[in-house]
Amino acid sequence: MLRRRHALGLAGAALAVPAQAQAPVNIRFYNYNLASAGLGRDATLEMIASFTAANPGVKVEGVAPPSGEVMARIQADVIAGNGPDLAQVIFADLAYVVENFGIRPLEEIVPAEDLRSHLAGMLPNGVELGRLDGKTYGLAYVFSTPVLFYNADLFRAAGLNPEAPPATWEEVREAAIAIHKATGKAGLITGIFGPSAYDWLFQGVILSAGGRVLSPDRRRLTFAEPEAVAAVRMLRSIAEAGVMPNLKSDAQIETMSTGNAGMYLQTSAVQSALLRGAANRFELRAAAMPAFTGKPVRPTNSGSALVIMTKDPARQRAAWALMKHLTSDYAYTIITSRIGYLPLRPSAIESEQHLAPWIRANPIVRPNLAQLANLSPWVPHAGPSYRQILTTMMNAAEEGVFGKRDPEELLAAAQRRAQALMPR
Amino acid sequence: MARTFGHRTREALAPWLYLAPALGAVVAFTYAPLGYAGWLSLHQWNMMPMVEPRFVGLDNFTNLLTLPELEQALANTALHLAALLPLTVVLPVAIAILTQELRGPWRNIYRGLIFVPLIIAPIVAAAVWRWLLDPRFGMVNAGFKALGLGPVAFLQDPDLALWTITWITGWKLIGFSTLLVSASLAGLNPSLIEAARLDGASEWQVTRRIRLPLLSPTISLLVLLTILLGAQWSFAYIHVLTGGGPLGSSNTIWYLLWQFGFGSLAAGWASAAGLLLFAGFGTAALFLLWLMRRVSFHDD
Repeated sequence: MLRRRHALGLAGAALAVPAQAQAPVNIRFYNYNLASAGLGRDATLEMIASFTAANPGVKVEGVAPPSGEVMARIQADVIAGNGPDLAQVIFADLAYVVENFGIRPLEEIVPAEDLRSHLAGMLPNGVELGRLDGKTYGLAYVFSTPVLFYNADLFRAAGLNPEAPPATWEEVREAAIAIHKATGKAGLITGIFGPSAYDWLFQGVILSAGGRVLSPDRRRLTFAEPEAVAAVRMLRSIAEAGVMPNLKSDAQIETMSTGNAGMYLQTSAVQSALLRGAANRFELRAAAMPAFTGKPVRPTNSGSALVIMTKDPARQRAAWALMKHLTSDYAYTIITSRIGYLPLRPSAIESEQHLAPWIRANPIVRPNLAQLANLSPWVPHAGPSYRQILTTMMNAAEEGVFGKRDPEELLAAAQRRAQALMPR
Repeated sequence: MARTFGHRTREALAPWLYLAPALGAVVAFTYAPLGYAGWLSLHQWNMMPMVEPRFVGLDNFTNLLTLPELEQALANTALHLAALLPLTVVLPVAIAILTQELRGPWRNIYRGLIFVPLIIAPIVAAAVWRWLLDPRFGMVNAGFKALGLGPVAFLQDPDLALWTITWITGWKLIGFSTLLVSASLAGLNPSLIEAARLDGASEWQVTRRIRLPLLSPTISLLVLLTILLGAQWSFAYIHVLTGGGPLGSSNTIWYLLWQFGFGSLAAGWASAAGLLLFAGFGTAALFLLWLMRRVSFHDD
């Protein structure tokens, strides 16, 4: 106890004078935004550069695994003895990381007052997602919600009113058919399927249909129950109308940003990539995630937390300083305006020096901001075979939407097989 | 007496000593990992040092063998390999024989052009093909459009994706196979061909009766390589271009087992998948080797 207090005292002192001459500290930071130009590589590099400029004693080595491979990479590198000091961990993987890598909560490694005051400035329901059993293992970092991006020019060409975008799946279906009929272009594309999608958007669709993919205690899979089947049938009816092609995620962004699709349901994180493509070519707008008629819409958040993985006190201090920098008003200004994630600091949203002018000039971000109020958490799958469960479920759902076999049978068979992989 | 005994022991030990480094290497790098994989395949473990492996018997094998995707992936693998053979065997043999008679720089220019795809990195080749085949901006589809044909979704159409992957894999390998065939053509005994020509054999007869039989060991080798390794060679293209989709239509057995075995470093699933592939392709290799010995013709 005495030793810890001593270490905390040192940490406080070091943070107070970060530029003090001492041995340089190198930290390895795993960040999936670095892996893709469409997902904010430049903006992330800029935030890291401004941190090292202000903290000459710290060197940050950015490691860039794609979002679908972060976990495998962290795990392989930890086993090989060269793991990250700080990692951006997707919420679906957080419990797994904490349980298997001996992660200590922030309450035990950073000064209490420092932690309290930093968290006080952040959105409480965001911070909550980094907590397990009341302890903060990860600091909520980048968040996005599903947004229905749409091409207002194609809406006009199809005789639709771009001021009144579709709010329900029935309306989405009609609009997609109208756009395809009038322009020959794709009516709707979605980011629901594909290896980097996990099931976060799928969970939002199923929740909005009144179902769940797994029970609240995470012991029983429920993605073959009638509500979920109805949701898959709705998507299938759009695919069967021939107006929703099944594209890989990179092709989706290309198709939408070149003006070749009417609507695109996807994480708000692709916003800046789409805006760049749309500039001077077509009018890109955004609407909230569609609802199922008569049911409340339940957008899930995709996103990640920053987790300190190193056991070395000097690196922990450096990592914590970088975490604070990456979740500051300055950082969220960059993250929101240049990537498209949500600002988790209300002060950044309100401040005229930060986001307020940009939000006024870019109404496209409003549906995303508005959905912060009714976010549902993305529930992680359970046990060591969670990835196989996920793949089994998503393969069946994808075939239910785009294939020929009956969705009900497909989902029921997949649920039986996946349930056998759940921890007993 | 003692000296003789010592001498004999030394003599008996000597071969083992000479063999020791090689045997040691084989055990350390082949059999020990194989044994470890066998052990891992019976456990559930994500390789985390803080987590104890849990014995699960044959569960990993049952889980893999009952995947509903397995049947489709096996069928795809068979089709993929069958369609690869014309590209990796028939075409290279024809190209090598046709360019063999060319004189001067032309032969090297032709063969150089055919060889180029081989030296392009697979990921780069995949990216290039993705753009060439894009339904909206791709050059291939621009060509189709000029001919008045609609755009073709080479990678997005479930009926075409596997054939597109097969073509890209084969395109990459034509140069390699042509090189092998050309080398063995150059090594054929020219007096056999001259003798046949003196006897008035036509060019086709020389190819059919002399070149092809003498090339049969090389051809068998190419068939063997294609069947055993073809599905591995396509891995990078599947990973980059289709992810096994749409709807599993371009999934091969290698890619499927990789998806389920390696996504979360599930050592048990992955080892079981590795052993299944080892057993399956090992059996295929034995059969092909037996076949090769029967059909190959050697000019002794």
